[in-house]
Parts: sequence; C-alpha cells; structure tokens
Amino acid sequence: MKTLVLIVNRLIWFFPTVLGLLAIVFFISHVIPADPAAFVAGENATPETIAAIRARLGLDRPLHIQFVRYIQSILEGEMGRSIYTGRPVAEDLLGRLPATLELTFVTIVVASVIGIPLGVVSALRRNSWLDHGLRVVTIAGLAIASFWFAILLQLLFSMRLGITPLSGRIEGWGPEPITGFYLVDALILWDLEILADALHHMVLPVATLALPAAATIVRFTRAGVLNALESNYVLYETAMGYPRRLVIWKYVLRNALIGTVTQIGLIFGILLAGAVVVEAVFDWPGLGLFAVNSILNSDYNAVMGFTLIAGTMFIVVNLVVDIVQGMIDPRETR
Amino acid sequence: MRRVARKLAEDRAAMLGLGLIVLLVLVAIFAPWLATHPGDVTEFHTARRLSPPGPENWLGTDRMGSDIYSRLLFGARITITIAVTAIAIAVVIGVPMGLVAGYYEGIGSDFLMRVSDIFLAVPQIVLAIAIAQTLGPSIENVILALSATYWPFWARLVFAETRSMKNEPFVEAAIALGCSPLRVMVLHILPSISSSIIVRTTIGMGGTILTAATLGFLGLGPPPPTPEWGRTIAESREFLPMAWWYAAFPGLAIFLVVMGFNLLGDGLRDVLDPRLRRASQHGR
Amino acid sequence: MRKQTEPASAADLGRRDLLRAGAAGAAVAAAGLPRAAAAQRGGGRIVFANGSAYDTMDPHATFDVGRVAYRLNCYDSLLRWLDNPPKLEPWLAESYTVSEDGKRYTFKLREGVKFHDGTELTAEDVVYSMERILAVKKGAYPLFATLVEPGSTRAVGRYAVEFNLKAASAIFAATTHDIYVVNSALVKRNERNGDWGQEWIARNDAGSGSYVIRRFDPARGFLATRFDDHFLGPAGVAEIDFRYVAEVNSRVLGLIRGDFHGTDPYMPQDQIARLQADPNLNVMEAESTRLFYACIHNQRAPMTDVNFRKALCYAFDYDGWINDILGKSVVRNTHVIPNPMWGAPKDVAGYTYDIDKAKWHLSQVQVPLREIVVAGMVGYEQSMQAAALLQAGLTKAGIQSRLLNEPWPVVSNKMRDPEQMYDVLFLWRSTYYADPHNWAGELLHTNRHRGGNASYYSNPEVDRLLDAALATADQEKRAPLYEQVARISSEEAAGIYIHNTKWFGPFRKNVRGVRFCPIGDGQEMRWLSIA
Repeated sequence: MKTLVLIVNRLIWFFPTVLGLLAIVFFISHVIPADPAAFVAGENATPETIAAIRARLGLDRPLHIQFVRYIQSILEGEMGRSIYTGRPVAEDLLGRLPATLELTFVTIVVASVIGIPLGVVSALRRNSWLDHGLRVVTIAGLAIASFWFAILLQLLFSMRLGITPLSGRIEGWGPEPITGFYLVDALILWDLEILADALHHMVLPVATLALPAAATIVRFTRAGVLNALESNYVLYETAMGYPRRLVIWKYVLRNALIGTVTQIGLIFGILLAGAVVVEAVFDWPGLGLFAVNSILNSDYNAVMGFTLIAGTMFIVVNLVVDIVQGMIDPRETR
Repeated sequence: MRRVARKLAEDRAAMLGLGLIVLLVLVAIFAPWLATHPGDVTEFHTARRLSPPGPENWLGTDRMGSDIYSRLLFGARITITIAVTAIAIAVVIGVPMGLVAGYYEGIGSDFLMRVSDIFLAVPQIVLAIAIAQTLGPSIENVILALSATYWPFWARLVFAETRSMKNEPFVEAAIALGCSPLRVMVLHILPSISSSIIVRTTIGMGGTILTAATLGFLGLGPPPPTPEWGRTIAESREFLPMAWWYAAFPGLAIFLVVMGFNLLGDGLRDVLDPRLRRASQHGR
Repeated sequence: MRKQTEPASAADLGRRDLLRAGAAGAAVAAAGLPRAAAAQRGGGRIVFANGSAYDTMDPHATFDVGRVAYRLNCYDSLLRWLDNPPKLEPWLAESYTVSEDGKRYTFKLREGVKFHDGTELTAEDVVYSMERILAVKKGAYPLFATLVEPGSTRAVGRYAVEFNLKAASAIFAATTHDIYVVNSALVKRNERNGDWGQEWIARNDAGSGSYVIRRFDPARGFLATRFDDHFLGPAGVAEIDFRYVAEVNSRVLGLIRGDFHGTDPYMPQDQIARLQADPNLNVMEAESTRLFYACIHNQRAPMTDVNFRKALCYAFDYDGWINDILGKSVVRNTHVIPNPMWGAPKDVAGYTYDIDKAKWHLSQVQVPLREIVVAGMVGYEQSMQAAALLQAGLTKAGIQSRLLNEPWPVVSNKMRDPEQMYDVLFLWRSTYYADPHNWAGELLHTNRHRGGNASYYSNPEVDRLLDAALATADQEKRAPLYEQVARISSEEAAGIYIHNTKWFGPFRKNVRGVRFCPIGDGQEMRWLSIA
C-alpha cells in the first residue's frame, strides 16, 4: 500500500517537473543573443530572407505564444527543427541516443565490476591501509576534471604509445545501423572485427567516465556494507554462531548491494554530465557532443531537445529507482 | 568546537586538504610576488613560444610565449573569485529558501521545493552551459550561471534538516514559548543545522571549481587573456603532443585544489555529521 | 582570365554579338579529359579528414571552402576554375558568348552529359538551378542577387542557356563556377510546399559530378562513389570518404597513422611542421590567394575615426606573427588584394608594428574611446591567436579590448548585421573567383554591405572605381582601378591586412595527382589516384 502511494505520488509530480524543466530552458534559450533565424537562412542570406524565416519559425511571436506552441508540438511528438542541421530535433537526438546509451551502459558495468568489490573489501578491512588508500583514491577520482583526464589518456595511450584510437566511435562508417548500438549490431551481424574495433574505441572514453562513477560506487558500497555489518540483525546472526563468511555473503552483501543499485540514479546523472565533456574530447557522436555543438551554434531547438531528453531520462531513471527501492527495501514495505 | 578541531587534526587526509586550500589562498594573494613573469598575463614573447620547462620558464611557455607558471598563479585568483562568489550567492539564496519552506508547510513550500527539484533534475553542467552561453563569456556570467544552478543543493538540504528539526523538543519548546518564526529559524534551527551546511559548502566548492573549469574548457569562461585554467587546457590541445606541459600543469592545479576541498569536506563530514556519510553527494 | 575572340560556335547567336568564347574547344584538354580517360579505372578509396562539419548536401546552401568538397565532387557547374594560377575552363559549357553591351551571356552546353540517375543534363536544368539559387537565397546568392533577375534566364533550345544581366559585369563568367547544376526533374519530384526541394536535397544526391553521394550523416561526413558515366570519364579513385574530424590532433594523428589520406590545412603551423617531418607524408605547398586580415567595423565609433583605425593597424605585431607564430611560412600582404593576383599594387608600404605611432594616432582621435571587442573563430587557431596578439599590442598602446571567440556559423551571422558585427574580427578571404574584385569589390563596395562587406566600409570614390572596373572588359584597363582601390583602403586603414596564405596540402605519399586550385583548395578528387 505504501509502495502504491509512493508510485502515485511520484507519477503525479513527473509531468509538472518535466514542464518546469521545459519552461526554464525555453526562457534561457530565448534570450540567446545570436539570431537563430539568421542561422537557418545560411551564409550570405539577405535580411529579408532572415525575416521571412523568422516568421516561418514563429520567432517573431511573443515569447509566451512561442512557448505554448512549443508545448503543443511536444505533445504531438514534435520537438521542432534543428536550426543547424535543418532536421527534426527528435530525429537527430534519436540518432545520437544509442551512442551515448552504449557508452553509459558499458561504463556502469565497468564501474560496478571495479567499484563494488573494492567497496566491499574496503568496508570489511575498515581502517586498514587499503581502506585509507581507497578513500584517497576515490576522493581523487572525484576531483579530477574529466576533460583533463581524457586528454592525459589521449596523450599517453594514443599519441605516445599509439595503442588506442584517438577519437571516434568506430573506424570508418561502421555497419548500417540496426539498433544503433555497435556492440549489439556487431553481435547480430556476427562481425567480430567490428565488435573488436568498437570496443577498442571505447577504452579511453569508458576509462574517463568510469573513474568518477567507480569512485562513487566504492563509497556507497563501503557505507552500505558498514551499515549492514553494524545492524542488529547481523550482530544477532553472528552471535548465533553462523560462520562469518556465510553471514557476509548471504546477508551483508545482499543488503549492501541493494543499497548500491539504488544509487544508479545518481551515477547516471554523473555519467550524463560527464558525457557532455568526454564526448566533446573524444569526438564521440552522441548526445553530449550534439549538445556542445548546439549550444555553441545557438541552436535553441536542439538545446531544448537535449535538455528535455537528458532531464527526462534522469527523472525517469530516478522514478524507476525510487519505485524499485520502495518494492525491494524491506524497511519500506514492512 | 575545540573537540571538532582536535578530531579533524587527527585526520591526516583532511589536514592535507586544508593545507592545499591554504596554499591556494596564499598563492592567490601573493601571485604578483611569487610569479617569475608577472607581466605575462597580458604580455607575449612570440620568439619564446612553446618552450619546455626550464630555468627561465619553470613550467614552460604557451602558444604566445607567456610563462605558464606565472599565469597559473594568477589563475588561482580567478578560481577563488568564481568559486567563493558563486557559492556565497547559492548559499544566500538556498539557505533562507530551505528554512522558510521547511518551517512552513503548505502549497508554497511544495512549490519552492518543486522548483529546486526541477533545477536538480538536469545535470548541473548542462544547465550552467546553457546559462553561460546565453549571457556570454565573462567572469560575472560564469558566477551567475554557477549560482543559478547550485542553489537548490542548499535549499534541499536545509529544507530536509529544518523539517526534521521542527519536531525536536527544543524547537517545539521555543515555538510554545512564543518566539517569532524568524527567531526560531535563525536562532534555534539554523545553528543546529550549520554543520551540515558547512560540510555541503566545502564539498560544493570542489564541484563548483570543476564546473567552472569545464565552462572555461568549453570556451564559456572568462575571455582571454584571463589566465583561467580550464581554457588554458583547451588552448593546449592544438599543440599536443609536442607541448605536453601546456596541458599538464593547469590540470594538475585544478586537481590539487578540488582534491583539497574534497579531502577537507570528507574529513569535516566524518567529524561533524556522521549521518551524511552515506549520501556522498559531490555535486558534479 | 585572358579572353580571346573566336568564331561563333552557336548558330542561334545574333550577328551583333561580340563573340568571346572562354578558351573553348581546345581547352578541354587542359580540363583534363585525356588524362582522366587514360587513367585506368583505378580502385581504392581516399579518406579525407575535414575540420568543418557537413550539415547539408544542398549545393546551393553553402559557399565556404570548409564545405566545398561535396559541391566540387558531386556537382558540376558551367565553367570551372582549375590549377594554380587559376584558369577558368569549360566544364558543362563548351563555350560562351557575350553580347556587345556585356549584358547577355549565352553558354553552349556539352551534349550527352548524364546526371547520376541517367537522365540527360539540359539547358532546362541550368535555368532551374539559377532560379533555385535566386529563390533559396543562400550560398552563392549574393554574387548574383544584384545581377540576375528571377525569371530572366532562359533556355535556347536544348543545349544553350541565356543569362540576361541587369548590368554589364566583367566577373559574371568567373562566378559561374558557383552555378552548380542540379537534376531539375528529380528535385521537382521531391519538392514539398514549394521549398525548391530543400529538405530533400539536403540529404540526397541530384548531381552529375564525378562522384555520387552514398551516405551522409552530419555527425560523420559523407561517402561518395565514382560516377562511371561522367562526361569527362570516370575518376581515378573509386570511393571518396570525407569525414568530419573536429580536433586538429585527431586529423594529424590519423594522417600520420595512415587512417586518412589527406586533411585540410587549418591548423597551427607547428602541426604542419610536424606533418612535414613525417617520412610517409607529402605536404604540398603552393602560393595561394587567400588573404588573412582583420575586418574592422568602420561604421561604429570609435572605428569611424581614421586615426583610431590606424592605431589598430600599428598595434599588430606583424613580424612576431609571421616569423615566430607562423614560422616564416608566409609573406606580408600590406593591402586588400593578395600579392600574386593581378591588380595588386606593388607600392603600398602598409603598416608596421609601432606602438609609438599607434599612440600618436590614438591621441588624434576625435571621438570618445571605449573598450572594443576583438573576435576570433573557434576551431581556427590562427584567427584566435591573431586576436590575442592584437590585444597584447592594444594594451601596450593604451586601448582597452576584450577577446571573443565564436564558431563560424555564429560569426557569419553577425557579419551580416551591422548591429551585431564585432568591432574587429580576424578571418580569411578565400578565392571564390580569381579576380581582384573577389577581394576589393566584395570586401569594400557599399552594395556588398550585409553580404560580404562586413567592415561596412563605404567610400563613394572606391565605389566609383569598382563600378568602372566591372563595366570594363579589358584587364589592362581594370588593373589600375583595383590598384587604386587597394591604395585608398590601405591609406584609410579600412582593415588590418596581414598576410597572403600559403596552401599546405598534407597527403599520404601514395596519393598522386593532387591538382591544387585556390578556388576549392585542392579538394577536387577526380584527378587523384592511389599508388
């Protein structure tokens, strides 16, 4: 029952949140000084053309009318046209989504595989040199500017050693997209060469993104395991004489991991933010690079589209995490 | 207070962090005296461009032949100005909003918190980029963009703390004794949640410096010749791998400063606010 | 271009017409037909890393050198500029004639030219393309806006096109390089709400050029394969792959590693030097005609004051720029017309780096001073560096300034609007047609305000000289007029004229046959082969 209330409560707030998001970004982007209409018009266009385009795009209307029209079109699944590519923003974003999702997903897997065991070990050997070392390393991981770390990796592995590609998602044009996820497409086509190449291109961007993500996971896991170890429940089980190994595997880890998994929302936010810069450094043709280019080009429809997509993804992920947490966390349901 | 200081002094990592921050402040204050080429913020020596680190230029020179070491020192001033001002504004907006929204219950409070939730719903860097781009590249606009995106962190934190404090006996007692709401908020609630605010602010400094550097890197920071660290790294990319020093040292400076705030913040959290230990928000 | 009088080649031309065929017939050899025909249909693929993104495949939507590749390789035009120094050669047109009053141009088309879909290219397609340029008002439109009335161009039979200009223009033929001909039947089939097929052609191919667009993605670039039925015979290389690679480092490293065969030269001279040192690379060098200069907004105070503009000119460190930053790779160009171009005066001393003179001129300024904005272009390192260098000089001279770097799409918008144009902007003026008018006329004539003349410079005497030069066909008579314009604009400090660019074409050693032409920057791929 409590879970249901939680779900309904979250859903009720979902739409106003997205609408508020739109409002903020819409008003920000409409004060952008560079004239969006002049950009559609292309180079060397005359002022008359620009005025005509401004009228066609409705940029000459009052702001609140433009906003209402924008909301209407969003409801019809239309996000306007990119001023830069002249194509529907939804189409551009959709085309770029797989690149970012693939990067994000692989990073979460890598960061978890590294971060969770380290977090557990760190908690089990609390105050050992390992624990202290990891504390400093994780704090450092969160203190490195990702664009700088990315450049250092490029400098060392791509430029000096020449063992990783400098940038891009794949060599050449890649396969005709089936799902748009190169790893999946390569498996469907059973083309191991493409698979290897795609993975090779992922090494540096994933390493860059995984550093802060793994650091966060280590810290959460450590805190989660410590909490579980200190809980009365575990103290009781230990007192009952169950072997420590069994108690840890069966109770402590399970509870701690649930806590960690529910932090995916936060980690997702870190990755999305990181993707903006990391994609720009590695020329990774995803949402982040698209956003950076759009912002530099004052492509306001595209900026709004990106912020809407990024914000909505973030809100949805957190919504799902909250609901899942509500369902699996014994404290919530009991 | 003394207990806190003693406990903190035992935490070597936190002391290291404090040391780094003190170093940053000293460097910023004494930049004109510490710099070997104080004029190089605006002066170029094209004949000496891209020289590697050596006795004349300790950390090498940039694309215009300016001394990177001297420019880094002056860059510390910009970093401090941006981070301190932006955070101060964010605190000044966020804390009162959180206090009021937490103290009074009703639609108004819900609305305020919803607004801050919306701001938190987008990664900070994305919103900061959009605002900074709108306003144009300058130090003031970076500060505005950062404070506009970071205030909800304090609003949210203070809101939650105030809500839980409201039911504490000493607060209920103060209300029962007829203290005005303002008095309760400022004299009773605020002091008892100040440790959380201090922890959040320390960690927030690190995140803000990183975001500011990122804006600089994307060309949205203060314009040249301001020796802003992030932009220096962006400039260096065209000269890699030849001029590695050009990219390496500004990044190292950013790292050390953010590391300083994060270490200190982590130590403070342990000492002041063990409850926060679980919620490791670094505000990235 | 030297014009010759030759016998009439088209029967339907009036007797009064003065016949001036642009090196017709025999010149086809120079255009390379035998060479291409002789080349066996080589295989292979050229991968070219481009620093500018391709946002559209519409040949009438862009005009810049950064995105010239698809226009040049996938579309054909009436005439085409080739080689260096550039020669205007017959292309789709075999010859052309000009009426006595210089207003009617008749182009005789080559017969049997095929579009990529197999339909024949006829006069109707040329007419449609001209009307389309005038209607969509993008790309090369300003070249024709004041000259060609919509509806005035007509087909004369299947293989001749008649342009009826509003006024005589000595440069019209030279600009037909930019009338790229599209397949009118195909585009019309894909028109939507009278958009001249803009939405469709932005992502599709409707050309007759040496290559057929196969794949296009604004994030990646375009891939095109050889068109075997091209009227000059098939190109040397089977496939061309133009990739958008934003980062200089990625382009340089990719070239060194062999991922790319060529790249554009928009990078710091330090990186060019790195490429020159690589044994597997061949960095071609050619004297180009591409002016690097700072555009000064002449209509905004304090730049309205000639003494302020002179102070700016004296505050730029030309020697530090050319000797240190560009490693002596280029030479100084003291005025608006590139040195190798005819019409460039030899007697303009120009300005030197002299802070004392700058200060003196500053003291003579009559209008109030203020902080000025000096702009560079993001992604074009030299432009940003030059802006920084000027700022250092200005600070010494006592002029407050602020640097602003913005991407080219934003910059090009602001240039068109006198309200938004920067106070000072560093950029290049490339060759769009090899004629002094490409610099003196496009950058300084009052009728080019909001379309080329971003300095908003206006001088009735200069306008008069330029108009007189356009109305004259004889190069001998035109040259002194342009020399005079260059002198006046230098004396009035209309802009800061810095250097004439040298072209550096970095290619892998196994790439043969690159034909550099300042118009198109050597990006026409049909001449290339891979050893």
